[in-house]
Amino acid sequence: MTNNSIDYPKQEGTNQLQYDVLVIGGGIAGQEASLNLANNGFKVLLVEKDLSIGGKMIQLSKVFPTLDCAACIATPKISETARHPNITIMTYSEVEDIKRNGNGLKAKVIEKPRYVKADLCTGCPICEEKCPVVVEDEYNYGLAGRKAAFIPFDLASPRIAAIDIENCTLCGACERACPPNAIDFSMEKKEFDLSVKSVIIATGFELFPAEKKKEYGFGKFKNVIHSMQMDRLLAPTRPFNNVLRPSDGKMPDNIAYVLCTGSRDRSVGNPICSQICCMYSIKQAQLLLGALPMADVTIYYIDIRAFGKGFEEFYQQGKSMGVEFIKGKIAEIEEKGNGNLTLKYEDFENGGKTVEADHDLVVLSVGILPNNEVSGLFKSEPLALDIHQYVKQEDELLSPAKTSIEGVFVAGTASGPMDIPDSILSAGAASAEATAFIRSL
Amino acid sequence: MEQEKEFVPKILVFSSEKISDPGIDLAGQQHIHYSPSAYTVCVPCTGGIKPRWILRALKKGFDGVFVAADGTDCPFSPECPDITGKMVANAQEIIKNEGINPARLKMGAICSVCATPFANHMKNFSKQLSELGSIQSENYKD
Amino acid sequence: MKEKIGVYVCHCGGNISDYVDVEKVRDVVAKEEGVILSKTTMFACADSSQKEIVNDIKENDLDAIVVASCSPKLHLSTFRNVAGRGGLNPYNYVQANIREQCSWAHTDKPKEATEKAIRIVRASVRRVRYSEALESFTISAANIALIIGAGVAGMRSAISLADMGTHVYLIEKNHFVGGRVAQMGELFSTDEKGEEIIDKLYDEIKKREKIKLFTGAELVSVSGSVGNFKAEITIRPRYIIPGCDMNKLKEAIAECKTEMPDEFNFGLTQKKAIYKAYDNCKPEMPAIEKDTFNPDQEFLEKYKDCIDLEQKTETLNVNTGTVIISTGFDPYEPEDGEYGYKKAENVITLQQLKRLIELSNGKLEYNNREIKNIVYIYCVGSRQKDGENKYCSRYCCTAAIHAALLCRKKFDSINGFHLYRDIRTYGKQELLYEEACKLGEIFFKFDDDDPPVVDTENGKASVKFRDILTNNEEFEIEPDLVVLVTGMIPRSDSKDIGSILKAPVGNDKFFNEVHPKLRPVETVIDGVHICGTCQAPKNITETVTSSLAAAAKANSLISRGEIELEPIIIRVDPEACEWCGKCAEICPYNCIIETDYNPEGSKGKTIAFVNKSVCKGCGICTPVCPTDAIDLIGYTNSEIESMIDGLITEV
Repeated sequence: MTNNSIDYPKQEGTNQLQYDVLVIGGGIAGQEASLNLANNGFKVLLVEKDLSIGGKMIQLSKVFPTLDCAACIATPKISETARHPNITIMTYSEVEDIKRNGNGLKAKVIEKPRYVKADLCTGCPICEEKCPVVVEDEYNYGLAGRKAAFIPFDLASPRIAAIDIENCTLCGACERACPPNAIDFSMEKKEFDLSVKSVIIATGFELFPAEKKKEYGFGKFKNVIHSMQMDRLLAPTRPFNNVLRPSDGKMPDNIAYVLCTGSRDRSVGNPICSQICCMYSIKQAQLLLGALPMADVTIYYIDIRAFGKGFEEFYQQGKSMGVEFIKGKIAEIEEKGNGNLTLKYEDFENGGKTVEADHDLVVLSVGILPNNEVSGLFKSEPLALDIHQYVKQEDELLSPAKTSIEGVFVAGTASGPMDIPDSILSAGAASAEATAFIRSL
Repeated sequence: MEQEKEFVPKILVFSSEKISDPGIDLAGQQHIHYSPSAYTVCVPCTGGIKPRWILRALKKGFDGVFVAADGTDCPFSPECPDITGKMVANAQEIIKNEGINPARLKMGAICSVCATPFANHMKNFSKQLSELGSIQSENYKD
Repeated sequence: MKEKIGVYVCHCGGNISDYVDVEKVRDVVAKEEGVILSKTTMFACADSSQKEIVNDIKENDLDAIVVASCSPKLHLSTFRNVAGRGGLNPYNYVQANIREQCSWAHTDKPKEATEKAIRIVRASVRRVRYSEALESFTISAANIALIIGAGVAGMRSAISLADMGTHVYLIEKNHFVGGRVAQMGELFSTDEKGEEIIDKLYDEIKKREKIKLFTGAELVSVSGSVGNFKAEITIRPRYIIPGCDMNKLKEAIAECKTEMPDEFNFGLTQKKAIYKAYDNCKPEMPAIEKDTFNPDQEFLEKYKDCIDLEQKTETLNVNTGTVIISTGFDPYEPEDGEYGYKKAENVITLQQLKRLIELSNGKLEYNNREIKNIVYIYCVGSRQKDGENKYCSRYCCTAAIHAALLCRKKFDSINGFHLYRDIRTYGKQELLYEEACKLGEIFFKFDDDDPPVVDTENGKASVKFRDILTNNEEFEIEPDLVVLVTGMIPRSDSKDIGSILKAPVGNDKFFNEVHPKLRPVETVIDGVHICGTCQAPKNITETVTSSLAAAAKANSLISRGEIELEPIIIRVDPEACEWCGKCAEICPYNCIIETDYNPEGSKGKTIAFVNKSVCKGCGICTPVCPTDAIDLIGYTNSEIESMIDGLITEV
């Protein structure tokens, strides 16, 4: 009985792979692009560098402005992608050196070893129970721990364990305990040569590292967290049963949101707006008022950017629920003895004086940054990036999926900030362009 | 000994797959509360509800039946409001002939974003049915 | 009847289990007749749970399953697929909605919610016992798309579809293509002009044989369904004789006396009844709107080689596999007196300003006055507290700031004062706001509840407002020009297109997509897609992105030449039917006909016969049959009545 949803493309004994399209990145944009292309009959190889597909979306609690549960709308797409006969997924794998090859493109794909045999693992978590090593859990952004032998997260696809070899003490407890004997420390990385007709870059984004904004004390003050950590605290697959503040486990009752952390801010090198933070902050605020009915939530903002379909109505809904909106950019945050925090800002609505406000939990609404590993994928024929280091859209107005390399298209936040529906649309555009491109060859 | 429990009317709602059922789902998504004694059976189009189902529901113990009609949004026919209306009128005749108060069958247009209107319909219908009393109080042949 | 049913009650990560006692539901339902397996699961939809269900089906030889979780809208096909992978017929599965229609709606009454969930799951079990094994069947699909609206969205979609191998009918109501983008002058992403973009697209369209463009064309009716729509389109004539002498025609235009406000320039200029939308418009041939044109006989005689008012409206009937609606938007027209609009002589809209910028050289002039300073009032017609337009029009903050920068670039020192509520230059557009601030544009923020007041006493507008950023200081400005930053509203005739195609609109009156997160270009009508601003306000890059996404979806639907159809259609019981014609009469698709029935050993009769590939499974015919001879497959008497019984039976 196996748990294997990966169809490895092997022709026995060869490491030569051939597909119509290579999609790099298994987040929502990569999945949507892959599905569109697969439905058109193309054979797609979806390469994901993490242990599971799902990207950022699978980590979220709810999505704006519908307040759909993120997992509930992400899992059908993930399932469909994993099941589609025309899509092959390689997780824990990376692409290198994409270059032109006649009419098409070729690349190297490196599959890193999980040290767990995919076709035998049943996702049972016994190895996790037995493993003595605890490290920070990336999926929960350090809020909780995970073992060195672990299943990436509840909704992982494929649901196969892995050994974090760097932190593993090689004690062998997992190997002994694994019922189907799936653990194999002798596994090595595998290299494949890949030929495709077209490539879609769907590599997503990075979160702005909140510690870079030193004035806000992230990393120093325990009760200053960032928004992705808060989303984890609110998600159905959350680490604790409620929203608790890190320093003492108390339920907070006076929460502050600091918008534009790392965006619209030349002092940290990112002058543009990250487009999603106003909305996700209002979303989290509404969820907090539901989870902690006695709590107050205050959002400190420069402008509220609720511009999309249903967004303004969502913002007004947040206001009517009692979320407090205060115009004022937070200049500095200080910690008090009890772990509470003092926020300093210019109070525009009341005379422009400098004001100090106390809160017991601060959430930094961090912006998004380009995934700077993308250019490393293209060595021989460099991929053009725009002035913000996102993948450059060569014909922004009329062919937004085109990149500087013929046959290579971009989908989702790899080209710039955007929310989930825009990522899905962008993936649709990339698949339309890739389809037209391949049919023209 | 039978306890005097407060009479909570049981309502059977017929919804349409593409129009009123999403509206009812939306009420749930927005956590709008309505009576938990309202149960929904979803069909492709409310014009396709058979009166015999409505009669059965009432005879078996539902205090009221609500048809959450497509209205003008129906993806199948622009005549749907008419057709559903006629079907409901026909069903009310049949119910009356069986000795049951036809006011126990009600129809309302519920669009795909009509979450609050749906909850209000349930509230109002529940109230009306409370006044009419339980279906057991009617004299009808089983 | 099914006797080996598996039931899965989902926690949905707390969304259900926080209110409904899922273990109790599992235990009670386990006792239902026919149920041999009853389990709870954390997320039924997760890959691992799906695998578990597949294994359970195989190992326990289940003959039907019930999944009690969220709305079937999300996962009906997911679990049908799971059933299929387990070896079951996908239709031997029923979805029980105990989330949207139970736990979520009754968060205040967990006890009652649990009882309701039990009833719902029990009813679903009883229903699935009567479920039949059904097979999908395929119909042919025309690899053709009909695109309504040849603005930037429609044209770009057409090009993409043609390149993917689909034939396209591209129809445009106006005589000229380009829609709103042609009117936009310089654009804020690349400083290209709207006209240039439209030119590029038109050239690409002309290169592609697969695209047939019709201007002056309006959709009148549509019948059929996905794969095979039949559309009736009327084509208004231009009343110009093709191939006529262009110089003579130019003379005619010069001599023509009938003038009217030119809607291309939003009424800032006049146009003749014989007109071109703009100098370089496409198609190039001028046109006449007949009901605005009343020439004397002399004129008609003089130009009879160029103008023929006898040209007839034509009707075009096309067969198409899929439809894309790309009808665009109208700019919001302020009410008379709204911020002084049409009362003061110097209040115009943002759209009018863009045309003014295009039409001006060296100096920006309006009503014979040179403009040296402009007050921009934001959010006019959008984010309305009391009006109908509650939504944000998304593109206008950026467009207004770009227009202000354009004014500075093109003309000498024009000062701009921006009265705003929130500056929504999202994403990379933020740099425009930064630049505007650097160059000296001044921004004032007014409270949502305290908008600026425009005084129009002496014909000129004088703007009074309070600025939050300077401690509610009161200001009064008497600028040369007041520009109302007006947003987008759905086109006035999109209602008609909507009712012809049965595509619904949302609360904001824009076309509604099936699911705002997951299916942004599809409508509830199979095969009908929406893209561009008719779905919601957006800028050009976003419009093109959505039009390409719609092309991708449309193409994947029809490109294989066939579509798989659900087998949910009606079935006539030949024994019970005593042909009366009532079902055929009421059927919206005319798919029922009278046919002979001559079974062996009995007297022949005529009965109703249904055309399987046309029947849409609405069921409207089923209640009208006097002998109850028609059932809708999947919604038979046994299935529905067993559900009713299951719901009413006491727990």
